Amino acid sequence: MNERSIVREFVMEPGTGRAVELLRGQILRVEQIEGGQCADFNCFNLHDYKEFLHTGRSRVIHGLHLTKGHFLWSAPPRERPIMYILEDTAGCNDTLFPRCTGTLFESLFDLPVHTNCQDILAEAEREYGLTPDDVHDSFNMFMHTSIRPNGEPYIAPQKAKKGDYLELLALIDVLAVPNVCGADVTATSDFSLKPLKVVIYQASETDLAAVPPIRKLSSQRTPADFKVKTIKADRPLRRDATYRPEFTNVPLQRIPCPVLLSDDELALLQDLKATGLYGATDSEVLRFVLFSWWMEAFAPHINQKP
Amino acid sequence: MAEHEVVVVINQQQAELLDKTVARGHATDRPALVRRALREFAATHPPVQGRPETK
Repeated sequence: MNERSIVREFVMEPGTGRAVELLRGQILRVEQIEGGQCADFNCFNLHDYKEFLHTGRSRVIHGLHLTKGHFLWSAPPRERPIMYILEDTAGCNDTLFPRCTGTLFESLFDLPVHTNCQDILAEAEREYGLTPDDVHDSFNMFMHTSIRPNGEPYIAPQKAKKGDYLELLALIDVLAVPNVCGADVTATSDFSLKPLKVVIYQASETDLAAVPPIRKLSSQRTPADFKVKTIKADRPLRRDATYRPEFTNVPLQRIPCPVLLSDDELALLQDLKATGLYGATDSEVLRFVLFSWWMEAFAPHINQKP
Repeated sequence: MAEHEVVVVINQQQAELLDKTVARGHATDRPALVRRALREFAATHPPVQGRPETK
């Protein structure tokens, strides 16, 4: 089918969110009605809620500001692409800031009862039996952020205009949960909360063909690989008396690797050591240099292709 | 030309990475790979430059 078809559409009013079942090959479009509105986003494997979007992994692979051509990844140990950003007309998405919370508004603004993304997402996810503890770190659509030279993150004025939209293609069946961010006393949405339009499409062949090949890795584990197969259903944590540690590659060994350096090479090593940046001993500096060089030579950025 | 021995201590996982790199033809053995790394890193990281970004 080379034409998209609309599956459903609705408007999210300020202070609300919606949990939406999105089957593999369907597209979630979140669209600005008035402009300047942030939307926080959660996403779960529809058939196993313990697999969910991991903002941190997505951020490290693609950068702080996810956009067209990037994937949303699930948390380790599943760690696979679960959604693909097909389109992004505003170009201001954030993976830096956590969702706003009731505690944030009470502590900073003395507003103990206030719209906030933690509670909005929790309320939307409650429709599927999830608890407030299940709300996860959000991917923040239409949130304009950056970092000051001193390393401090900040929220900049909105860039999203009326009609701007973000489209996410589901790569597996998911429960997608967008909301209208509840932060109206910070700059997140230019100090006013506005509705957002949501459209679900059945993707066209062109849409599906836009997704780059996805590499499967043996380290992307599933519950079949887990030593504990069942999900804990009670709250207290109790020690398993039969537990025996089985950590990977333990014990780690100390393997001496002798290297003969020429006069010139030793001089290079001493120059690097004198900077004080790479270690205290010749051995430490050479190891630091070795693996730093390897990263630069063979993994020049930590962006990874799926 | 004098030769100076420096012993780099690595673990088995790091050794695996180096050995795979050697097997791909980037050096003849581990010591040669280390020496190549030193020369090329020094060429692109003058002593005054800050700490490289690694993870």
